[in-house]
Amino acid sequence: MNQRSPIAVYQEPQLGRSSLVLGWSEDAGDLGRKVTDYLNLKLKGQEFAGIEPEDFFPMSGVAIKDNIARFPESKFYACPERELVIFQTDSPLAEWYKFLNSVLDVAERHCRVRELYVLGAMITFSAHTTPRQLLGVVNSTGMKEILSQYDLNRDMDYQTQPGERPTLNSFLLWLARERNIPGVSVWVPIPFYLAAMEDVQAQKKVLSFLNERLDLKIDFGDLDQEIRRQNEQLALARSRSPQIDDYINRLESNIMLSQEENGELIKKIEEFLGEGD
Amino acid sequence: MGIRLYQEPQLENPILVASWPGIGNIGIIAVDTLREILEAEEFGEIEPWEFFYPKRVLIRKGVLEYLEFPGSKFYFKRIRGRDMIFFIGEEQPTEGGRMYAEGRDAYRMAGLVLDVAERFKCRRVYTSGAAVALIHHTARPRVWAVPNAGNLISEIKAYQNAVLMSDIEGRGGHGNITGLNGLLLGVAKRRGFEAICLMGEIPVYLQGLPLSYPKASKSVLEVLSHSLGIEVSLDKLDELDQKVERTIEEFYQQIPLEIRGQLDKLKHVAYAQPVEPGPITEEEERKIVEDVEKFFKKRGEGG
Repeated sequence: MNQRSPIAVYQEPQLGRSSLVLGWSEDAGDLGRKVTDYLNLKLKGQEFAGIEPEDFFPMSGVAIKDNIARFPESKFYACPERELVIFQTDSPLAEWYKFLNSVLDVAERHCRVRELYVLGAMITFSAHTTPRQLLGVVNSTGMKEILSQYDLNRDMDYQTQPGERPTLNSFLLWLARERNIPGVSVWVPIPFYLAAMEDVQAQKKVLSFLNERLDLKIDFGDLDQEIRRQNEQLALARSRSPQIDDYINRLESNIMLSQEENGELIKKIEEFLGEGD
Repeated sequence: MGIRLYQEPQLENPILVASWPGIGNIGIIAVDTLREILEAEEFGEIEPWEFFYPKRVLIRKGVLEYLEFPGSKFYFKRIRGRDMIFFIGEEQPTEGGRMYAEGRDAYRMAGLVLDVAERFKCRRVYTSGAAVALIHHTARPRVWAVPNAGNLISEIKAYQNAVLMSDIEGRGGHGNITGLNGLLLGVAKRRGFEAICLMGEIPVYLQGLPLSYPKASKSVLEVLSHSLGIEVSLDKLDELDQKVERTIEEFYQQIPLEIRGQLDKLKHVAYAQPVEPGPITEEEERKIVEDVEKFFKKRGEGG
């Protein structure tokens, strides 16, 4: 059996007791990538390690997205001033146990991580104007207690439904618990018609929580501006298209749309926001 | 990662019977039914984490309480000096979204199963799976038996309702057994175990349906219990078969008349006399397979 480690550390980060924030690159609303990109930008994250892709992704070619060839990436960034580690990664397609343990190996051995924050986006059939409520799933009662002072619903009951599988977030939290690393999976709802684009409001909701919990001292002025811009675009779409307005009105009144109408709304919003770019 | 044994049962001359899910779950239903009838006791497992993605999570009041993985468990039963070890794998370890195990993980899993067999001085291994055949669902499925050594052929010839690959029309003694039910046979050979894979026939037009096919499991269990020299009641499988039969019949009636007409010809296939001109020609056989493939393709496209 091949025992080669997939971890590549380029430079030892200078960290005390840090926290790790993990974002998946291909989340709904591009949440994981956007949030981790934003943190890296604001906190000047320095790449210090990565996980080699060959064991975890089919090396059968490259995917093309937005005209550009993509290759699976799993990168760690350090922000020593805030005792923060950021891990941005594509979701592995094989050898999940090995991949997630590699993440935790870097966290433990190189970053002395004391807490883990895993980001997740969940698609909701609510309107974008509905206030977003963060949902937290923790791997220890201690972590639940710690998070009690934050705006995070921590009382969810859930079990896997037939035909479904647990998320990678749950798998990672479970493995972290085996190592006595407290962790939370932070879920934010993304309206279905923004899932294929980005949802700045959802990003800010998650970032605000992290900002407060990890004392990151980030000023969100630029993000607020982005939210205003996206809301204005959506308002414009509603004013120009009675159909979009009708669909969103109904969602705001908690009336479910049919599958066909859902598809229609997605298409129209994508067309409209696409034109605005 | 590896094997976790909860106890070390004292076993005499044990035989290993192993199975994983596959087409129609034929093998695993046969083996699991035997395990249940004999009330075999669980004594160990293969640790699942490196092989499988978790199958179930339980979150209560926001706390992740439990993550469950597909099981790969060992059971034992003492029977008059010919004890038995069962291995039941709830899933095959797959890579890259394939249906059946292959590659490194599959080879490792097969090796671990045989490690346990070796530890208890077992020398005979049975595996079980499905054989996709041009038969009708009203026919009694035969059992294709594939040994991993020539000296087992005479034994197989004495089994009722079992055939060697060389007995199967148009096969010329050749074929493939996909996934771990087959791989274990090969790894067993490499490690000096004698092994036999018993495959129950499933009609070609049922292979893609998400249905169990207990009728073939029953055929497998008949052969297996005969080979092991034990008597078992098949009532449970009969009951299951009757339930599934109704669903199959409903499905069958939905098949377009033209294709069903072709499939009906399979009712008259006489395997016992392959040298005589049968009621179905090679050309008709080819047409049946083509029609069935077209039908399923169309159903798939239709959503």
